[in-house]
Amino acid sequence: MIETLKQTALKALAALTEAGADKGLCSVQYKITHEFNVDGGEFSLFRTLFDKQLKLNAVAGGRKGTVTQNRYDDETLRSAAATCLSAAESAEPDENWDFAPMAENTDVTRGATDPDLDRLFFRCKELLEQVKERFPKVMIEQFVVSHEEIFHVVADTCGVLHSTHEGSYTLIMMYSGHEGDRASSFMISTAQTADLDRPLIELASIEHDLASAEKQIDTVNPSGKFEGTMVLTPDCVSDLLGSLLMQFAGEDGLLNGTSPWKDKLHQPVADERITIGLAPLDERIVCGKRVTEEGFVAENFDIIHNGRLNAFALGLYAANKLHLPRGKNDSYNMVMAPGDKPLDEIIASIDRGILVGRFSGGKPASNGDFSGVAKNSFLIENGKVGAALSETMISGNLADMLFRLRGVSAEQVQSGYTVLPYAAFDGITISGK
Amino acid sequence: MIQDRLSDKKALFAARANTELRAQRNTRRVAVLLNGNLVNNVRTEQFGVSARVYENGVYGFSSTAEYTDETVKAVLKAASENAAFLSAHAGRGKGPHPHLMPGRIVTATDLSDPEQRAYIEFIQAIDRYVAAKYPDLISHTAVAMSDSMEKLLVVSDGTDGHSILPRSYLYVTMSAAGQDGKPIELHRVIGGGYGAFTQNYDNPEACYAEIDELYERVRRKTEGVYPEAGNKTVILGGTLSGMLAHEAVGHTVEADLVIGGSVAGPNLHKRVGSDLVNLVDFAHTAFGKPTPLPIYVDDEGVAATDAELIKNGILVGYMNNRESAERFGMTPNGNARAFLFSDEPLIRMRNTAVLPGTSKLSDMIASIDDGYYLLDTNNGQADTTGEFMFGVTFGYEIKKGKLGRALLDTTISGVAFDMLKTVDMVSDEMVWASSGMCGKKQPMPVGMGGPALKCRVNIGGR
Repeated sequence: MIETLKQTALKALAALTEAGADKGLCSVQYKITHEFNVDGGEFSLFRTLFDKQLKLNAVAGGRKGTVTQNRYDDETLRSAAATCLSAAESAEPDENWDFAPMAENTDVTRGATDPDLDRLFFRCKELLEQVKERFPKVMIEQFVVSHEEIFHVVADTCGVLHSTHEGSYTLIMMYSGHEGDRASSFMISTAQTADLDRPLIELASIEHDLASAEKQIDTVNPSGKFEGTMVLTPDCVSDLLGSLLMQFAGEDGLLNGTSPWKDKLHQPVADERITIGLAPLDERIVCGKRVTEEGFVAENFDIIHNGRLNAFALGLYAANKLHLPRGKNDSYNMVMAPGDKPLDEIIASIDRGILVGRFSGGKPASNGDFSGVAKNSFLIENGKVGAALSETMISGNLADMLFRLRGVSAEQVQSGYTVLPYAAFDGITISGK
Repeated sequence: MIQDRLSDKKALFAARANTELRAQRNTRRVAVLLNGNLVNNVRTEQFGVSARVYENGVYGFSSTAEYTDETVKAVLKAASENAAFLSAHAGRGKGPHPHLMPGRIVTATDLSDPEQRAYIEFIQAIDRYVAAKYPDLISHTAVAMSDSMEKLLVVSDGTDGHSILPRSYLYVTMSAAGQDGKPIELHRVIGGGYGAFTQNYDNPEACYAEIDELYERVRRKTEGVYPEAGNKTVILGGTLSGMLAHEAVGHTVEADLVIGGSVAGPNLHKRVGSDLVNLVDFAHTAFGKPTPLPIYVDDEGVAATDAELIKNGILVGYMNNRESAERFGMTPNGNARAFLFSDEPLIRMRNTAVLPGTSKLSDMIASIDDGYYLLDTNNGQADTTGEFMFGVTFGYEIKKGKLGRALLDTTISGVAFDMLKTVDMVSDEMVWASSGMCGKKQPMPVGMGGPALKCRVNIGGR
């Protein structure tokens, strides 16, 4: 299959050149998905999908166009190339568009390329039985488990020709705690794995999260407003700090000039105990992206290293435009360095605060101001985690927050997508009704 | 238009099973100008065929990107085998869905598909206007976008269909320096809705008045204040009440979420709002006009009708697929929708709206001594408990019955079935929106709308 896709990619590049492209970049993918769905706690659906994807990028006279289709027969390649050039012709010239230069080409095979569907089904049933037995108050709204086998080739007119053949299992589960008519907020657990050696309940923080859902059925609402410490679970670190990094260190905020970090490269932007980056090659990441959308071989990099802004997450166009280095990968595989204290010790140091499992909020403002509802959250008082909370809002400023670090936990959760600790920040406004 | 390779395969459908065959083409065209630089210029097309088979209470599904007589037969066979696998291991001992009357609804017509040049030239004109008239902005972005969804559906029982759902929009975003030098941002959907891009946008000058209004709001916001945090009396503008209809109420009354434990389960036929609250998920026609995104037949072959959800404050129904309708003893209204050919139908909203009342907006504002008028949102989320959160990007103080200073970004929250009971005035005009995507395993274009509502919510300050 990989050889066929390579031939297809080379044909596509030839079609782009023939249509008038000065430079071309092509991505060709074939994916087979097997997926079991559980709805309302019962098996409901078994899907098998055969998907193709073709993505063509062309630059002609400094003008760029992009076309994506889900076919790559010869006729489609010719028509897609023509459409791509037609789109490019309408654009204004911009000398900053470019693709990866020639480098050593890579052929990677990894993960579970041969799905074991009988075992996957067994693991799903096992999880449902374990939830029923050990977490009887938990109701599973939806549980989707799948195996994806992906064949992928990226090639460009500079001679880049990378291939990947990989397979992995993923799960996403939405559930809540129930007792009579009382219910917790919904929770979502996700994980990715390259094998089925362990029960699914042991992946990521699923077991912990299921127990947490049962504790959230009865809630309290903190009265009034106070300033306290916010402890983010690893899932919430991914959500809130992920938003922060994309907004402050990503392309949009830099290209439009609104990022508060636009002039802060190599300067302090956070407490010096914070090191966080994108690391698709980390051995704890499952099938992390090895080749970027622009044809570069991916490398790990820190966005913040010991509190200093180490790099921006920029693609090649934005990097050229802004005269800054490009990001070394374009994955979402966030890895944050652990701290030296266990979570319990950090919580024991907090007089009043909140443990936040999920942040339900609007996109933070471009200046970093955020406010939203703390979901799946618990009050922290006198160094102990107390009652679950409802209708509790949290607000602050993301840029300021990074300097108010109370601690990063020694524990990290590996979801397959990310490797993240708990992180605690002071000076957050917490308000009840 | 999609060629019919499906109808003659009905002969292959198994008896005592529900079978759907669907060929589908999705297109998306996007052009983005950021400060005059074309940073995105993409045309996307996804086309293929899928089959779904319901047997013994479980579904098998398969899809492929190839659309030939052979691949149609192949996905039908694979879906049947998947249903048989799941039936053998986790069957529920159920027969086919209750029978539906046969029919065929064809609304598809040839869709105009403008070249990328049309999108780019339009936003270039918008960009030139903004850059020349408002040089004090930190940045400005213009996005031209269209998408479409053509579906050819053949079912074992029910209504076959051939439909197309095109929509297109212009988005403009402006950033200006606030009082502390930090950026203040607002965005707006200008015009657009159902139809191809060149049908909705033939003259950039027609957008200038709304662009000027957006700038004026940005300017006022640079002088804005944070609201005082707490439980306050507010007027939710139509955009926010539409968001409320969709996020805070609509999702909780989707029957799959009810089965999963949503708050609507124990509240059916109970009071969930004041007498003034009425909420409907419209199919294709509302108030005598086509809805923003009309749906005539869903992807299970159910001819679409309106789903009445809240009547005079009482929760009266759910949105269903065929299976959940049977479970709850309700009539399916055509809410089972799939986003791509490779997606299975899920229970989705169509055009969900709070119905207008009789009050005048000016009287509503005049009735508030100390509160807020909230107009724009950039995000909304809700829980299965009905607890909701909306990001508010623009609004005004109300002091002694008059509009005051503009507001900086804030968040409102509440519990839908508590908050709706506080509604004591409903305006006589409503606003529809249809540019967004709802997310629920798959994305889905949806319409939402509502009048201005006077109510109490929690509002975040700083």
